[in-house]
Amino acid sequence: MRFRFCGDLDCPDWVLAEISTLAKISSVKMKLLCAQVLKDLLGEGLDYEKVAKLTADAKFESGDIKASLAVLSFILSSAAKHDVDSESLSSELQQLGLPKEHATGLCKSYEDKHSALQDRLRETSLRLRRLDSVSWRVDYTLSSSEIREVNEPLIHLKLQTHRADPGSSDTTMVSISPDKFRVLLTELKQAQTMMNALQ
Amino acid sequence: MLLVLSEDHKAHLSFLTKADGSVIEEFGRIALEFLRKGANPKIYEGAARKLCVPVGMVQHGVEGLMFLMTESSKHMISEVDFMDSVITLGFGEELNQSLLQLYMRHKHQVRSILSQLLCNQPAYHNLEWRLDVQLASRSVRQQIIPMVTIRLLLTSYDANSTHSCMDLQTDPSTLLHVISTLEAALAAMKTSHARRILRNIK
Repeated sequence: MRFRFCGDLDCPDWVLAEISTLAKISSVKMKLLCAQVLKDLLGEGLDYEKVAKLTADAKFESGDIKASLAVLSFILSSAAKHDVDSESLSSELQQLGLPKEHATGLCKSYEDKHSALQDRLRETSLRLRRLDSVSWRVDYTLSSSEIREVNEPLIHLKLQTHRADPGSSDTTMVSISPDKFRVLLTELKQAQTMMNALQ
Repeated sequence: MLLVLSEDHKAHLSFLTKADGSVIEEFGRIALEFLRKGANPKIYEGAARKLCVPVGMVQHGVEGLMFLMTESSKHMISEVDFMDSVITLGFGEELNQSLLQLYMRHKHQVRSILSQLLCNQPAYHNLEWRLDVQLASRSVRQQIIPMVTIRLLLTSYDANSTHSCMDLQTDPSTLLHVISTLEAALAAMKTSHARRILRNIK
């Protein structure tokens, strides 16, 4: 059976198993659980105390709590990944055995946060090195040890970049002569025109 | 199989013959804590003061006991073999019994601790990928070059789990070749040769 929210592949076995765990709590509680999972996926952090209180009635053990959080996280993030609309998601979840009220509750929360989730996923996509900021300074060189009168401007550029996590930032300092800088500026402007033509 | 214990080892453990049962228990516990967390000199000093013996002797006794435990757990010695090995030390029957009890109770724990000491090759943790198309460069405009950028995240289990990442870039045909090679590797698990070996290991 191929499911759109799994990317036109079979649904993983563990998701099937945990959907039956999800059916044990009431649909209202499940909607609140979805809200918590969405907060976590959007990077705002998960309040584990609230989750524990929500699942306390159904007597979930810690393994069950983790499993239900994992399955909700998987469903919501892969539905956003494959850009599934909420009606298809609801019908596919009901085919997998999730009760109707639970499925509609989940899809309502999904639909509310659909575009925010996709933006967040787009932001966290793989980027090799990101540019944080550029600062510049123009100096005027009067003279040097090589020749008495230089009288030329000099541009200093400072580029702040970071790799995988925002903590590890690198600084690159470049000093450029005016001619080279004009060439750089022209090339970058050409790239900008090409980029604008695409949008 | 029998453990062969060196003379030094026997000398270190001979200290234990003079002590009584509860002290052996205590020393067993200290030896296992040593395995789990590393040596704690304050405990040695406290024990030495209580038993009125030099600190060095306490330390050798604990280390000897720990070595006995690790060697026995390493080889998965049966009870009978353990008793035979320990008898060569010339201890009393009661001491042998308490050592045996210590070994049986903590065998599995010691094995799991020992197994954590060895793995130092990086292992697969996560894979992130991205598909791009290069449209133009400084020298050539109007191109279409698809490229796949991959970040391979690995963990190694040496001191703590340290993460390392490797950035790779490939064109789609190389990627297809890599995929087919890996699928061939997976399929090698299902050949009759591999199946025969796996059956015999189980």
